[in-house]
Amino acid sequence: MHTVGGMSGKWFEGYTTDGFFDEAVDGGGGLRPHYESIASTLDALDPADLTRAERRRNAAFRTQGITFTVYAEDDESTDIERTFPMDLVPRVIPADEWAFLERGLIQRVTALNRFLDDLYVGGMQIVKDGVVPRWLLITSDGFTPEAFGVPVPLGARCLVAGIDIIRDDQGAYRVLEDNLRCPSGISYVVENRSALMRVLPQLFATEQVQPVDQYGSMLLHALQRVGPPAAGDSPTVVVLTPGIYNSAYFEHVFLASQMGVELVEGRDLVVEDHVVYMRTTQGLRRVDVIYRRIDDDYLDPVVFRPDSALGVPGLMAAARAGNVTIANAVGNGVADDKAVYAFVPEMIRYYLGEEPIIDNVETFLLWDPDQRATVLDRLDQLVVKPVAEAGGYGLVIGPHATDAELAAARQQILDDPRNYIAQEVISLSRHPCLVEDHLEGRHVDLRPFVLSGEDVEVVPGGLTRVALRKGSLVVNSSRGGGSKDTWVLAHAAGDASADGEDPGEATEVLTAPVRTAGLHPVGRR
Amino acid sequence: MRFDVRYRTVFSYDEQVSESQNELRACPTTSETQRLLDYRVTIQPAARVFSSVDAWGTRVDAFGIRRPHDSMTVIAEASVETSGSVMPAAAPRLEALRQKGFVDEYVEYLQRDRHTDFGAEIARAAAEQVDLVAPDVIGAILAIHRFVGQTLRYTPGSTEVGIAVDDVFAGGVGVCQDYAHLAVAMCRSVGIPARYVSGYLFTERDDVGSPAETDAVVVQTHAWFEAAVPGAGWLGLDPTNGQIASEHHVKIGHGRSYDDVQPLRGVYLGPGNSDVEPVVEIRRVPPIDLWRSGANVSVSAVDAVPADLPLGVRRYSDPHPSGSSIRQQQLQQQQTGAVRTGSLRSGHDLPERPAPGKRNQHTRT
Amino acid sequence: MLARTAEYLFWTGRYLERAEDTARLLDVTYHRLLEATPGHEEVEAWLDVLRAVGLADEFEVSGRTLDGWSVSEYLVLDPANRGSIRQCVTQARSNARGVRELLAVELWEALNSLHLDLQSRDLALDVQLQPHELYGLIRQGVQSVIGVVDGTWVRDDAWRFFMLGLLLERAEMGVRSLRIRQSRHDEDVHEWFATLRAASALGAYRRRYATFEPEALIELLLLSSTLPRSVLFSLRGAETILTDLVADERSLSLRLLGRLRAELEFADPIELVGPGLESTLEVVEARIREVAAAVAAESFLYRVDLGLHSLHLVPGGDPR
Repeated sequence: MHTVGGMSGKWFEGYTTDGFFDEAVDGGGGLRPHYESIASTLDALDPADLTRAERRRNAAFRTQGITFTVYAEDDESTDIERTFPMDLVPRVIPADEWAFLERGLIQRVTALNRFLDDLYVGGMQIVKDGVVPRWLLITSDGFTPEAFGVPVPLGARCLVAGIDIIRDDQGAYRVLEDNLRCPSGISYVVENRSALMRVLPQLFATEQVQPVDQYGSMLLHALQRVGPPAAGDSPTVVVLTPGIYNSAYFEHVFLASQMGVELVEGRDLVVEDHVVYMRTTQGLRRVDVIYRRIDDDYLDPVVFRPDSALGVPGLMAAARAGNVTIANAVGNGVADDKAVYAFVPEMIRYYLGEEPIIDNVETFLLWDPDQRATVLDRLDQLVVKPVAEAGGYGLVIGPHATDAELAAARQQILDDPRNYIAQEVISLSRHPCLVEDHLEGRHVDLRPFVLSGEDVEVVPGGLTRVALRKGSLVVNSSRGGGSKDTWVLAHAAGDASADGEDPGEATEVLTAPVRTAGLHPVGRR
Repeated sequence: MRFDVRYRTVFSYDEQVSESQNELRACPTTSETQRLLDYRVTIQPAARVFSSVDAWGTRVDAFGIRRPHDSMTVIAEASVETSGSVMPAAAPRLEALRQKGFVDEYVEYLQRDRHTDFGAEIARAAAEQVDLVAPDVIGAILAIHRFVGQTLRYTPGSTEVGIAVDDVFAGGVGVCQDYAHLAVAMCRSVGIPARYVSGYLFTERDDVGSPAETDAVVVQTHAWFEAAVPGAGWLGLDPTNGQIASEHHVKIGHGRSYDDVQPLRGVYLGPGNSDVEPVVEIRRVPPIDLWRSGANVSVSAVDAVPADLPLGVRRYSDPHPSGSSIRQQQLQQQQTGAVRTGSLRSGHDLPERPAPGKRNQHTRT
Repeated sequence: MLARTAEYLFWTGRYLERAEDTARLLDVTYHRLLEATPGHEEVEAWLDVLRAVGLADEFEVSGRTLDGWSVSEYLVLDPANRGSIRQCVTQARSNARGVRELLAVELWEALNSLHLDLQSRDLALDVQLQPHELYGLIRQGVQSVIGVVDGTWVRDDAWRFFMLGLLLERAEMGVRSLRIRQSRHDEDVHEWFATLRAASALGAYRRRYATFEPEALIELLLLSSTLPRSVLFSLRGAETILTDLVADERSLSLRLLGRLRAELEFADPIELVGPGLESTLEVVEARIREVAAAVAAESFLYRVDLGLHSLHLVPGGDPR
């Protein structure tokens, strides 16, 4: 138990880290340097100020419709639209830590792109060289024979990747999960920033924070780079959404408007002679790149689910003919498989000849008799996960599980060892969160967004998700999670000069952090 | 033997169809026992065809029609030369099926899918057949082949596509597709990799399989199966008529089951129903030359499959039961959330915009 | 613009206008009946409201009793009635939500606020205790949305489709109210005044006409070129917009609308009034619907009215 000492601030009074790695407070109870300016800004505020700010933020999100929807079973009129709660204390990542993460993320996504291209159009060299077993890929739920031979310009298969990062009890960053299909959450990154700037501009007064509102142009640029050769320099890009009933619909709207492109549904698109067009009031208009937020299974009823009304009949043939690019590429799910995840460090070594910069969480592969035996012995100390689920579904956390749950997990492993993995329980790092009139530590993770086009780039920061319930490790929005604005500092804490950035970029950073229209942080020097 | 195959399917619709998008898999493959000499696809109304080769090595001709039409004719004409399967000389033992490299190479043909998801009854029957001839793999394959031929009674129209293989087994009747799926499922249940084959058979009767007396027959597409023999490759067998795949079998392609090598799959948009009339004419023609290929399929060897990996144990479950509304589908995207079952109530006599998921109200005004 | 987007905007306009018109009708009917004696007349009056919004048959099917409370509840908040005000606003909002990326933030916020307001209120209680306030609030809510539209929306095709939907709905609703009122063949001044009030036209009427004259009513509500809620006024607006929207001069929708507008423009109110009026109004109403259908056929065609069927072939069996 550490209580933060030496702080005059009322906010950290009685704040304890409870032995967890805390983002803001070090093991000795002192505030980490990159949180000092936030702490002093907070000191000037009363709890009532923050409560008011929170109310303003919630009201703004609600009227703007920045919501996800919890759908009722059978009655449309009882659907509930919820805002994704945002804690007002931002998470801060110092420039040097971010530089490390950025390098690691670029390395990882580069290798994953290479792997998927190798798998679907490259003849599976990695299998022939004995690095990843063939059977493991073939038996993955995400393995998609229909994607064979479908070209992706620049091999940018994971055009948008959301890599879930956590910190262990030593504070080391580790990759928990790769989301390479349709990762969502980027709209919250941008909206959280703009909301925080609106309700608590004071916080930005003394820090140089890297901006995030360039996401739309970064994404558009990446999408334009992967256009089919025939489309030339400025291919027509669209965002393909399942429609307004989808829980992430707000984000689809957000992306289309940030990029200034059409938001289309499947029924707006048509394929003629293996070319995709959208139906406009002026007739058909050619489409070159589709940023789709629809699962593979629904994309084309000719090839996948025949009853899919969300997709576009003939789309896959158009993609195969090289007349349209689908991003993210079809078939990426195989690399989301948590058993395949365990091989990502090997992929990095194989394709790039480098050592992984960010480590995986140590993972037990349960088809291996020795590893399985170890896991079954220690089931009550480990986390068991189904390989194909995202978002924490099907998770069994050994130390918190009942005997019956453990027995069920044991049976599932024995029945189907390929489709489960086990990991050590990692107590996610904690971060101070506003709880009524004081701060308490809550567990957080981080989902940075990585874009692949000509180059692989990372949006500074990412979505910090918070398990708002005390002691909970579940950060998913559908299950009581919230989020935080995530700051990447423009330079290292206490270092006034740009941290190793080239001068041009540094200037950009210095002028850009608060360029959201009409916002002028109070007291900025 | 050399054949000219003319595959012709006419889809006629009750009412005008505004759009149709399709994939045709009707082109005979080239393999160790077969060579394609000529192939041509004609679509009416005319449509541009895009051809490619799928993951299973089958030629796919994709085409779409985007004009109102009330019928669609698909014609695929092929000239092909065949020589039949030869019984392998090797005599591998059942243990060879568990070799790491073998499982790794054929793993996709050991999994279940919706057509081959077998239950305990099928597994027990297969195990009994295998026990009779153990430890010989080829003997096991032939025993299963024979068993399927004796267990099912050939009954055209008795089953529908999508029938569960357990139901085929329990029902005891079927057509060639059911024979093939049952044989594939039984092989897989005892660890023998097996795949579904689609093709044409030069015979007047599928169930007898004797070569036609005349030089031309009118048939439908046919289905049989192939099983992998350790050290020897694939062995083609036709359980519907109790034959080894012969020079009268013209193979289009193979896959894990029917879904991978459907002769024609597609969708059309329109109000009505369709009627299908598929006809295959096979004509025997004098051979032009003798041809044999020595090409071998390259084999990848990854020494990583654990010996006791219980493959194919997991029952197949359809992740997306069909018949859901557009709203349900929108909901299902990227979430394991609620699925709505109620239907939207239709409105009043005021003009009303069709809500997403609501159809056929567009022109009510 | 995407065909579907255009349709969403069109229906956002229509549903908003429908919500407002329904509120106006309920408001004036409620107030008129406060002065009347209960009984037969009241039932007739509520039936007229249902007919004017085109929901008389649906109402009957719903099995409700035909009285003020029940009709009001049905038209304001019944979730099963897609024509209820709450549902109209919800649908206007869902349609707008489908084109969020095209709407100015203020517009979306105004529409969303109206929606959230109606969702959070106890409408049943409002209908019972303060109907006038409620209807006023709905009218103001819709008008504040339209005010934002008017004051902020760039006059692009998106705006045009929105306004086209709104104006065609207003014209159709206007004709229908007139027709229903007309079909009574009575000369009840109060009823007519209610109809005028629902169209915000009572003041204009009093200023222009000293006495109650049926042709004066027709002149004002159907043929006025200055009263914003007259049928002709709405159709003229729609025609201007459609001319800008449609590139092809031979467009069916434009021809239909132009012909209808011209016929009304040059009609003689004295000739119209009489036994043939009701059928004339019926024809006008049908023509407005034809215009809307033609707009849909020309601009909104996408994959919506078509079923999706899969094709497959089963091997084996007897060749045919």
